[in-house]
Amino acid sequence: MEFGLFMELSVPRPWTADSERQVYENALEQVRLADELGFDYVWAVEHHFLEEYSHCSGPDIFLSACAAQTSRIRVGHGVIPCVPQYQSPIRVAERAAVLDIISGGRLELGTGRSATWPELSGFGADPDETKKTWDEFVRVIPKMWMQERFSWDGRMFSMPDRAILPKPLQKPHPPMWVAVTSPGTEVDAADRGLGCLGLSPGGFADSEKKVQNYRKRIQVCDPVGAFVNDKVLTVNFLSCNEDGDLGRRNGLKVASMFSYMAAQLLSAKEVLPTHSYPSEGLLPALRRESGSPGDAAKSFKGVTMGTPDDVADAIAAWENVGFDGINFIHQFMEVVPQQYVLDSMRLFAEEVMPRFKTGTAARPVAAGVA
Amino acid sequence: MPLAGSLDIRPLVDGAPEVVLDERELKVDDVDILQVLYEVRVADREALVPPALNPTIPPVISFLVYRAKESAFGPFALAQLRLTARSGVRPRAYLISARCDNPALAEVLAGSWGFRIAPGEISLRRFHDRVDCTVHDPDGRSILQVSLVDPVPVTGHDVQYPPGMHLARVTRDGVLKPRIVQVDSEYVFRRADRGRPELTHFDLEAWGDARLVPDIPVSASFAACDVTIANVRYICNPDIPASEGTEKVSDA
Repeated sequence: MEFGLFMELSVPRPWTADSERQVYENALEQVRLADELGFDYVWAVEHHFLEEYSHCSGPDIFLSACAAQTSRIRVGHGVIPCVPQYQSPIRVAERAAVLDIISGGRLELGTGRSATWPELSGFGADPDETKKTWDEFVRVIPKMWMQERFSWDGRMFSMPDRAILPKPLQKPHPPMWVAVTSPGTEVDAADRGLGCLGLSPGGFADSEKKVQNYRKRIQVCDPVGAFVNDKVLTVNFLSCNEDGDLGRRNGLKVASMFSYMAAQLLSAKEVLPTHSYPSEGLLPALRRESGSPGDAAKSFKGVTMGTPDDVADAIAAWENVGFDGINFIHQFMEVVPQQYVLDSMRLFAEEVMPRFKTGTAARPVAAGVA
Repeated sequence: MPLAGSLDIRPLVDGAPEVVLDERELKVDDVDILQVLYEVRVADREALVPPALNPTIPPVISFLVYRAKESAFGPFALAQLRLTARSGVRPRAYLISARCDNPALAEVLAGSWGFRIAPGEISLRRFHDRVDCTVHDPDGRSILQVSLVDPVPVTGHDVQYPPGMHLARVTRDGVLKPRIVQVDSEYVFRRADRGRPELTHFDLEAWGDARLVPDIPVSASFAACDVTIANVRYICNPDIPASEGTEKVSDA
């Protein structure tokens, strides 16, 4: 099993001149520790306009800082919105290549298309088009990386023959992923040979079906890049403490705050009748339509919270489902103290991680790259 | 931290309908439903909804118009002005006010589900390339003109009508108290279209909240559904967060 940290960089009000700096500093301290402890990945979201929920609109810059302050952990976009109103695929390819170079070949490129109304409407993007634009982005980006000169006459964008520079350090190119929240996106991932970056915790049975379907389909995929990234990661909340009650209590604080803040954002699906977004996107499992208005966010089965044994049991269950790894949301809105977060990570690395680690993440890395 | 409502409900309580909690449900077949959504630009989002609820980011108003050719109370049209909200993590729509052209039905909607409702003349007309809705006061004054333009078919799964949250007065422990009544409706879709929203006229004062100035058009849909308004299952104290102030009043 592989383990990663998932960074939203949420900033609670009241905002002071120092609030955002403090959140970023805390996050970087966590990443440095994760690197020492043997975590495999740090992922950074890209969100815009999502007040408090995420102030991570320049993830490549944040990840560059992560890379500069670490030596081993892989740095991942989790994920880049492949929506032309947000950014050109040329800029994605260029900036990702820079990050790959300065990280020494440690980049993972997650792709997606945004699911919230404030973001899509803020950029004037058409929600009906985002699946199509995502598809074109993921097909052209690896070509931009691998071909010395590149031209394209596509549906969503075109460009004359140009050298897109620099080229990434990893050869043939960095691993590519897609965020999976909507039903069926695991099929899109498999068909294109992309890794599956689960962003929405679900039940065991549903997850198992998705993973099996992905594994089956990817056997016959037509990869968009030069290789198949046959990996499925899920997401969970991490809170590990010798005092199991404290671990669960703090973990639920993070999970509840995450679901409350996610729920407050209007999803594209909620306000726009479109088949382009078959699910709500953000934590649909925690947002049932009917039921008591007073129900707070409930923990789902398999939460990685509690004592090291509790956490290990939960991870074992997800491993049995077929996942290759878990990315952890370990802090949100600074609802638990930074020292608690660091201690939780240390305990996890000492007591839990060794039970699941059989080796370091193997990657299709180029000759000459350590 | 999550945005929490701060609307002072005291000026609204006297005009809130008195609801008798019972097992009544209302089923109406083949209802034409127009829903038009606009973002509103308002400085103080929290002040739009009571403390029981949470505003959304961004706040969006919806004009939700029903027209039924027949029902237990005869033909009717009902126009609601609602505001997107959350109750805990759940999507909800806070009812600002409603108009109805059927007095007998209006009385039932107010008395069983807490619709803040007034008389109105409502026209909902479907053309090949648009759906037009107009609402007039009983004195003939226009208070709403809203349309869906260039309809294209979608599936019923694509259209969402969140449960309503209606400020009402409910007897608890022998005393009439302000409560938010959760109105759950079931929709069985026969067909659905979506199109561009077009708002030509909107009399904010007449609908009860002059702060809800429409800003950015979001979407419009027109559907035909069998609608069942279920009996009330949950009510909540408007003055405290729904997570603390919700009461289950029916298992049905």
